[in-house]
Amino acid sequence: MVNYIIRRFLILPFILFGVTVLVFSMIMMLGPYQRLSTYINDPAQLKGQDMDELVSKYGLDDPWYEQYGRWIGGVLQGDFGWSESAGQPVTEAIFSRFPATLELALFAVIPVVMGGIWLGVLSAVHHNQKFDHIIRIVSTVGWSFPTFVFGLMVLMVFYGVLGWFPPGRLGADAAAIVRSAEFIQYTGLNVLDGILNLEFGVVVDSFRHLIGPIVTLAIVWWSYILRITRSSMLETLRKDYIRTARAKGVAEKFVINKHARRNALIPVVTVAGPMVLGLLGGVVIVESVFGYRGIGQYAAQAAQQLDYSGILGVAMYFSFLLILINLIVDVSYAVIDPRIRLE
Amino acid sequence: MQKKLVVFLTLLLVVSVFSVVGAQEEVKSPDTFTYVTIGDQSTLDPHFAYDTGSSELIYQVYETLIDYEGESVQDFVPLLSTEVPSQENGLVSEDGTEYTFIIREGVEFSNGNALTPEDVKYSFLRGMVSDRSGGPIWMLYEPLFGAGFAGLSDVTADVVGVEDPKQLTDEQAEEVLAALDEKITIDGNEVTFHLAAPYPPFLNIVAKGASWGSILDKEWSIEQGAWDGTAAEIADAHDPVKEEDPLFDKMMGTGPFILTEWVNGDNVVFRRNDNYWREPANFKTAIIRNVDEWSTRKLMLLRGDADMIYAPTQYRAQVESEEGVTVTTGIPVLQNMNMIFNWDITTEGNNYIGSGEMDGEGIPSDFFEDEDVRKAFSYSFNYQAFLEQVRMGEAIQLRGPIVDPLLGYDENSDVYSLDLEKAEEHFRNAFGGELWETGFTMDLVYNSGNDPRKTAADMLKSYIERINPKFNINVRGVQWSTYLDASVRGTLPASFGGWLADFPDPHNFVQPFLDSAGYYAGRRGDTYKEWAAESGIDDLISEGISTTDPERREEIYKELQQMSIDHAIDLWIDQPTGSNTRRTWVEGWYPNAMRPGVDFYSMDKVAE
Repeated sequence: MVNYIIRRFLILPFILFGVTVLVFSMIMMLGPYQRLSTYINDPAQLKGQDMDELVSKYGLDDPWYEQYGRWIGGVLQGDFGWSESAGQPVTEAIFSRFPATLELALFAVIPVVMGGIWLGVLSAVHHNQKFDHIIRIVSTVGWSFPTFVFGLMVLMVFYGVLGWFPPGRLGADAAAIVRSAEFIQYTGLNVLDGILNLEFGVVVDSFRHLIGPIVTLAIVWWSYILRITRSSMLETLRKDYIRTARAKGVAEKFVINKHARRNALIPVVTVAGPMVLGLLGGVVIVESVFGYRGIGQYAAQAAQQLDYSGILGVAMYFSFLLILINLIVDVSYAVIDPRIRLE
Repeated sequence: MQKKLVVFLTLLLVVSVFSVVGAQEEVKSPDTFTYVTIGDQSTLDPHFAYDTGSSELIYQVYETLIDYEGESVQDFVPLLSTEVPSQENGLVSEDGTEYTFIIREGVEFSNGNALTPEDVKYSFLRGMVSDRSGGPIWMLYEPLFGAGFAGLSDVTADVVGVEDPKQLTDEQAEEVLAALDEKITIDGNEVTFHLAAPYPPFLNIVAKGASWGSILDKEWSIEQGAWDGTAAEIADAHDPVKEEDPLFDKMMGTGPFILTEWVNGDNVVFRRNDNYWREPANFKTAIIRNVDEWSTRKLMLLRGDADMIYAPTQYRAQVESEEGVTVTTGIPVLQNMNMIFNWDITTEGNNYIGSGEMDGEGIPSDFFEDEDVRKAFSYSFNYQAFLEQVRMGEAIQLRGPIVDPLLGYDENSDVYSLDLEKAEEHFRNAFGGELWETGFTMDLVYNSGNDPRKTAADMLKSYIERINPKFNINVRGVQWSTYLDASVRGTLPASFGGWLADFPDPHNFVQPFLDSAGYYAGRRGDTYKEWAAESGIDDLISEGISTTDPERREEIYKELQQMSIDHAIDLWIDQPTGSNTRRTWVEGWYPNAMRPGVDFYSMDKVAE
């Protein structure tokens, strides 16, 4: 398995190179004046601009290989370029948003996956009973409901009416503590840093801001995970070895939890991978609704503004994540089902 | 159990939909002011900034020599100077070419450095040396060096014959620095600006709200790596790339606030400058938060977590009747919107003009050179419906490029109105009657997402196609990048434009819109440039800016305004008015058309 993992990592630079060439080629299909929209992103900024001077200043009329050469040369020296849409270097833009995205993903993935599996198993066990019907209706509605509408409802109820879960990442008071010189940001994850700094007000405030996005994500993704779990579980429960276990007198709880559930998880792991990738890649709509500044917002902003350094940086980040998560999924298969061997 | 849960959730939903979300009775976070808006900032360097977002930040930290008095955009009060220069107090020379500012003593930058006349001189010289392409510094060059001077390259070309300041030798740089140096002189505690010719709006150019008039701490700026004041460094300091500009993300001003945090696109945090030379601000902390989603901004206002928000016209009704919310509308905005007719359309590779010929399947390059065509278009626009339905009554019709209430604006001057009979008459006369017979096909293009522009284009299509079935207009929405590309190439037959005042003077509107060297002349093509020079427009504009007699100036600007209508140079659409949405507990807010956004210093939060 170790060899397999090393091999996968060795391929990584080639894949990243391919991705950058592909993305860069697509951007270069646009003319220099079109790409100038990176620097002038609003009609109001047109006043007084000498377009040709700007094209020349940013080297937009240079041959594509020179422009790519400049960019890749910088990358090899650790400089991923300047992101005009973020107003900071690309690496800073990604790394400054990554903790927010990671924190949301970490806290969302557990309730989403565990809750989805739990509901899916319950639904399968109570197949065609009242509980199963309710869960199926709720999951169908949840999956087909637009995320932004659901997010707005969550915000309206839990913030607008109850005042419990405000938007953003931190309230003004907690943000002031985090900004203070005494507060050390070890990880950039507010909950963890709050604990490490013994600032429990920050921890509580961070949770208050995380719950809205998590609830929104959970409802949407539960619907998906529970449906996969349910159908996989139903199939497993019909297997001969389950019948055998029951015939041997094994307790039903043990049959479900030990024999059936574990075997039903393979398809769940397959869909959980892309789900985690989606969470780590940023969830644009949830981030927008809750004013949560993560990577999703940045990716959308960079694409909209044709910020090629930003787009390339985000593309490399996604590619890296994709490879990493697929690898984790492959390894998980082997852990869940010992019959699977990675060569 | 399940029934109870369903009942609870239903109740919760009903309450959420129908409840007026708690107007907070007490002032929330009285020491903090939070403004929640959209958009981001480009830079913190006052000499680089040329966008409202950046200027809004710079406004809180840096100060200028003079400020506007209250809501006025013509009356001033002293700020870092002790008096507003005028001929009455002897601080403006009789010929109107020398402006002297007496620098206030006892003022400190927030790092404790004392403000000196040397800081003032350095600030303006540094601006003129850095002079980034497409930046705002042309506004200093025109009054100091005269018409035709728009940047350092014009001075280097004039003084040493080198067009690119980055190519200056050391000797040439010394000559250039001397030329700049003599324009701003220090005598004791007085700083005098020596203008090339009288320039009536000069005080507006250096007044608060104009980031380029900000006074920097020379010592601190040099420590950060900004221009060191020597000739040898001119080439390096000129036209910086934004990310390499030393003052891109740093500020050090004399103003009421100190920047604490700037996370572009997310939030900006200021803390109070407790050593401010006037009374310290009412808030310990002031925050600008960027929240793109309207519903979130609305909830933050209603919950009292935002003291002021940006509320677009179409959504404002959702909050204006809420308890604890105050909305002010009809705020003057010195901005206009028009449709620019391209008098000289680039035909090569142009897919917006059909065949490119007068054959009914397209339009020729000189389509809009014909005055009858422009007039026919001007009579085919429903201005009233646009103002009422698109702007929801929050705009007035333009009467030429000059906006209300600037000199030359006359609310009784001639304007176009929807009149399809007159439109038909002009279409019949156009191109000697040929256009009426052959018809035409063209595209009207707008940048996707800009709904007012789309509606304006749809309106023209609807009315013009009614006049003659041979007239065809296709309304096309394109990405901003494509729109920009087409604008620069001159392939758009007509494009939308607008101008937000740099300084409140009619010159700032007639020059870009009407002058043959103006920005929009470039969008109309060479034919227009020749016409503007021959028709006397250029001469009138030159006279207008160099005349100090207000009555003569008014005559000139009225004449230019009338010419822009008589010749239907563009389709003059509207001047929007602004609004402000805030909690009722906010006191001290007042509008000023030249202020870029909020002024935290003027406000307080007081229990209702």
